[in-house]
Amino acid sequence: MDRYYRKRGYNIKLVLIYGLILFSMLLSFGPIGYLLITSFKPPQLTFAIPPVWVFKPTLQNYRDVFAGGTFVKYFFNSLIIAGSTTLIALILGSFAGYGFARFQFRGNTVIRLSSLIPQMLPPITIIVPLYVLFNSMDLIDTRWALIISYLTFSIPLSIWMMTGFFADVPRELEESAMIDGCSRLGALMRVNLPIIAPGLAATAILSFIYCWNEFLYAVILTGRESRTLPVTITSFMTNKAILWGRIAASGSLVLIPVLIFALLAQRFLVRGLSRGAIKG
Amino acid sequence: MSLVNAASSIQSSELAKRWRAFYRRIEPALYISPAFIVLFVILIYPLGYSFWLSFHEWTLRGFRKGIPFIGFENYIDLFSNPEFLKSLRITFIFVIVAIAIEMILGMGIALLLDHDLKGKGFMRSIILIPMMCTNVVIGLTWRLLFNYEFGLVNYYLGRLGLGPVNWLSDTSVALPAVIIVDVWNTTSFVALLLLAGLQALPEEPYEAATIDGASSWQLFVYLTIPFLRPTILVVLLWRFIDTFRIFDVIYLLTAGGPARATETVSIYVYRNGFQFFNLGYASASSYIMIFFMLIIGAILARIIGRIEM
Repeated sequence: MDRYYRKRGYNIKLVLIYGLILFSMLLSFGPIGYLLITSFKPPQLTFAIPPVWVFKPTLQNYRDVFAGGTFVKYFFNSLIIAGSTTLIALILGSFAGYGFARFQFRGNTVIRLSSLIPQMLPPITIIVPLYVLFNSMDLIDTRWALIISYLTFSIPLSIWMMTGFFADVPRELEESAMIDGCSRLGALMRVNLPIIAPGLAATAILSFIYCWNEFLYAVILTGRESRTLPVTITSFMTNKAILWGRIAASGSLVLIPVLIFALLAQRFLVRGLSRGAIKG
Repeated sequence: MSLVNAASSIQSSELAKRWRAFYRRIEPALYISPAFIVLFVILIYPLGYSFWLSFHEWTLRGFRKGIPFIGFENYIDLFSNPEFLKSLRITFIFVIVAIAIEMILGMGIALLLDHDLKGKGFMRSIILIPMMCTNVVIGLTWRLLFNYEFGLVNYYLGRLGLGPVNWLSDTSVALPAVIIVDVWNTTSFVALLLLAGLQALPEEPYEAATIDGASSWQLFVYLTIPFLRPTILVVLLWRFIDTFRIFDVIYLLTAGGPARATETVSIYVYRNGFQFFNLGYASASSYIMIFFMLIIGAILARIIGRIEM
């Protein structure tokens, strides 16, 4: 499309375009940058007005966060819960996505869209009965409670994204493999899987990030044992004071894996989310 | 002998044929059903139980003496409760205003990024950041930024000769403040999906229209928007699902205050369920929420489905 704009002498406005994009990049990163900087500020400068941008960075806030050793434990809780949920959702979602992308059958679109219903349910609406259920099964404050809850949104997400990625793989590749004597499952593993590996990674990353970031289920269904990082951050808001330095430090720690993943997979993330829209 | 053999082989090939036909029919289900079964098993009890609860009176004070059936009383109470109606209104204002702003800004950013630019991958990565961030961190960071005395927002507004604004504790500003945070959080999602849509557009119509002397604005209105319709609808669906349920960002920014000015339905249900332990009442409000969600979600999904078929 770009050329048609250029023909109209649009390139004079290129500076304006770069300027506006730079501005939106600044707005996007600004608050996060501020959080990162605050996390390295000595406590007495946290609230300095006018803001101090040049200072001797300190790791004091990070030391405070790690003091007591529970942060590491909660970090592993987050990691294990997000990881297990993602693995289960990815397996189930890939098969379902393959089914939707490869088979023509009546009601394909309707069933596929209905897989979004669990995702539509606002978590607050099922959390009261989930709490009662987990309580009766002695699952409150265990990792299982969160893994099971998170499947309600990570499975629909995986189905949605994987359907799009499978639809992108030419059917002929797999058909020729099947003519050569490969079973459908064999063709799926040997022909499709290598091609959709980036899509699989993108789906895994997105599902992982959603679980990693989740707060409502975590704050209600966990206690001292299975707490995850977002809940841990809010524990620095005590009755007496909000410990902003520690919040900034722990917040930065929580964001780092998210940012790395997002930067690595951005191209595929966007494609995966939009594919379901562009290609049925 | 040979006749029997022939007959049985005909029969077995008939059987095999039938089996193959049957297998072909159920094959999709073998791939699709496991995911659906798991979802069903997880969700059926919570949904059923909260449906049951919504017709009963469950309070912390009374539940040991029994959970009496009270019919539609919870629902009737809700619709005559000004607090609930207010939270519904706030939620819908929030959904409509936030999504409208996000669509416009997102389209703007998508159109900007849809040029041959240097370092486009990097730009896209940076703009993607807000949608990936942990909501708890977003809520708390903005709470700091919006702080009346020490926040950067008021400081820089002051430099421009504006403010200070009591962002989070003035009833008339709190909802706009929460909307600003949501716009910051999710415009990138809208922009990137629309950008993906833009990049998948066919070139020929644009060539033809340009030859016919169409202006850029005409290209946008008569070609880009109609071509993008499926993408726009999907973005709307996702955004609606996400915004309607919003909880954590608001909970950490204002906890629904001041004076319930930012109390969305999610926060209303949370307060009734986990602060007042009025579970029957909370379940009834949940079901009203699900009802709205499914109606609007189904309308959007139907339109999407029709386009795809």
